[in-house]
Amino acid sequence: MEAYLGIDVGSVTTKFAVLDSSDELIYHLYLPTQGRPIEMVQYGLGQLRGELPSGVDICGVATTGSARYLAGVIVGADLVKNEITSHALATLHFIPEVQTTIEIGGQDSKIIIIRDSVVIDFGMNTVCAAGTGSFLDHQALRLNMSIEDLSQQALKSKTPVRIAGRCTVFAESDMIHKQQMGHRIEDILYGLCQALVRNYLNNVGLGKDIRPPIVFQGGVAFNQAIVKALEEELKSEVIVPPHHEVMGAIGAALLVHEEMAASQNGSKFKGFGVSEVRYRTSSFECKACPNLCEIAQIALDSQILARWGGRCDIWERSPEGKG
Amino acid sequence: MRLAMPHMGNIYIPFRSLFERLGIDYVIPPPNTQRTLSLAVRYSPEGLCIPFKLLLGNMIEAAELGIDTFLTVGGCGICRLGYYAKIQEQILCDLGYNVEVVSVGVSENKLAGLLKKIKRLSQDAPWIKIIRAFRFGLAKLYALDKIEQVVQKVRPVELLKGTSNQLFSRASEAINRADDYATLKKLEKDTISELNEVTRNNEVEPLIVGITGEFYVVLEPFSNLDVESELGKLGVEVRRTTFVSNWIKYSWFLNPLGLNEKARIHQAALPYLKRDIGGDGWESVGEKVLHAGEYDGLVHLAPFTCMPEIVAQNIMPATREKIPVLTIICDEQLAKSGMLTRLEAFVDLLQCRRRAGSGNGHKGKV
Repeated sequence: MEAYLGIDVGSVTTKFAVLDSSDELIYHLYLPTQGRPIEMVQYGLGQLRGELPSGVDICGVATTGSARYLAGVIVGADLVKNEITSHALATLHFIPEVQTTIEIGGQDSKIIIIRDSVVIDFGMNTVCAAGTGSFLDHQALRLNMSIEDLSQQALKSKTPVRIAGRCTVFAESDMIHKQQMGHRIEDILYGLCQALVRNYLNNVGLGKDIRPPIVFQGGVAFNQAIVKALEEELKSEVIVPPHHEVMGAIGAALLVHEEMAASQNGSKFKGFGVSEVRYRTSSFECKACPNLCEIAQIALDSQILARWGGRCDIWERSPEGKG
Repeated sequence: MRLAMPHMGNIYIPFRSLFERLGIDYVIPPPNTQRTLSLAVRYSPEGLCIPFKLLLGNMIEAAELGIDTFLTVGGCGICRLGYYAKIQEQILCDLGYNVEVVSVGVSENKLAGLLKKIKRLSQDAPWIKIIRAFRFGLAKLYALDKIEQVVQKVRPVELLKGTSNQLFSRASEAINRADDYATLKKLEKDTISELNEVTRNNEVEPLIVGITGEFYVVLEPFSNLDVESELGKLGVEVRRTTFVSNWIKYSWFLNPLGLNEKARIHQAALPYLKRDIGGDGWESVGEKVLHAGEYDGLVHLAPFTCMPEIVAQNIMPATREKIPVLTIICDEQLAKSGMLTRLEAFVDLLQCRRRAGSGNGHKGKV
């Protein structure tokens, strides 16, 4: 059976999605990145090898997410795509009439405006990570509860308190202040969810024409309280699609399916054996000019696979660094 | 007296030639690097913009090479730029450098002001000598900008990525050394024909993206993470009206007549913004309106905390002339990946738009 693999390596989680030739999702995987993107991609491939039904033939691989280039080198990707395009395509696949996609992940959040199945505008958080998954995780940890509990507790709130959402530092000190005043924990937590939604709409959603149907995806969409706060603030229904947490990977798989259908070449996929080899990463300071860029490199045995990180592209062009 | 001036793209080349011809003792500060930025950030007030910080960085690195005078820009514009020279002079003084920061007013648009400052700095050289030296500097500036405009066209279609950038930096070095008009003219002609002969991919019709925003961050690649080259690598033809040579032409020579591109840009902005709001905010809005029919998209560069550009950013989505705009905030960040993700998504968006027939420029094709 022909199948297409999408891998989305984000800052906090790594996602895998396998689609069959009619673009049905046949397998998906959601893993914590834990600061080790290479190991996680390898681990995920190992899982896939064990759990995919026999006879599945990977005919195309695409990578997306902030580690898309790194992951692309490891697996031999046929396509490396940014996560904004991937997410938009996945939403359109499941909900063709969508006009707004909201995606909140571990470190960044996006808004994608779609009209007549075409992306016409997008925004991504620029200077602040308030309202993303990492901050919610941090608050759950501070209150000694799981992220699932945080969502359930917040939903119980009847009289939410106001939390400053401008910045995570302000939000946290506001929360501590309210907690020490004796407010109920569920009211503080729901107040936090409202603050994060306000912050998201004021920053990422600034000046964007948000119209229904509105689709909410990414890891934070697990949080029912955020969904509720979004619906209240937007005064509109917010759709959370099934598999919302792996939409980026699904979008990448859809894109590579399209790409491979149009191409004469076979897939560059290196196979599941990649999960067993040892990659070496290292970095050095380039001395070619006073910029002293930090160049990162990835090697298999003694062969350098890729280098990046410089302001100019001398290291990307040739392994010796000669312009 | 020992003089230096700040970096902004290739601007040091015409100024070096001016100083050289007037016998002014000068230093070219080291190019903008991480070190420049670290020094600048350490000694700058935190909330100021990246142009202030990098200018200060150039001053400190030049001061280490023993200058006593620094020529910079200032003036009574409505943005904070007017204060920069004095603050920078004070910071240099606190650091123990006795440097006079001489500021040329840009908002007053007076050529005479700059020439008078140069007369003073050249220890009263005769006017004829100053004007000749100035004209030769201008000729270098015009040659560089003319070549760069060709580079912008070749970059997206060259088969071997990086070829035009290499040709451009080689030509810049040669122009820097050139000492007479004939050599300069020949360099310009040869480089342009070399650029036109670069092997191209003729199958693609590149997207056209305009670049606008605050003057300094548009022109200094270090501050905008080489956004133009990165767009070029993605197969996009970049266009901009912001060139130093254009600015000089519009502000010093043509503006009194009121018939130039800048006047047209202001005119275009009028329905949405009725006056200059300092910096280049008025121009940013006007460029969007004026070029909406010929560009596929617009990249808007704004320094973090820049009031005029933030105003412009908020006006742009509301104009009737619809064309996608991507605002990029320029600050101390050196990692390119965040910007690349946005640029790639922006290019995808523009391509889809063109395929759907709503893009400009080359309707229906591709």
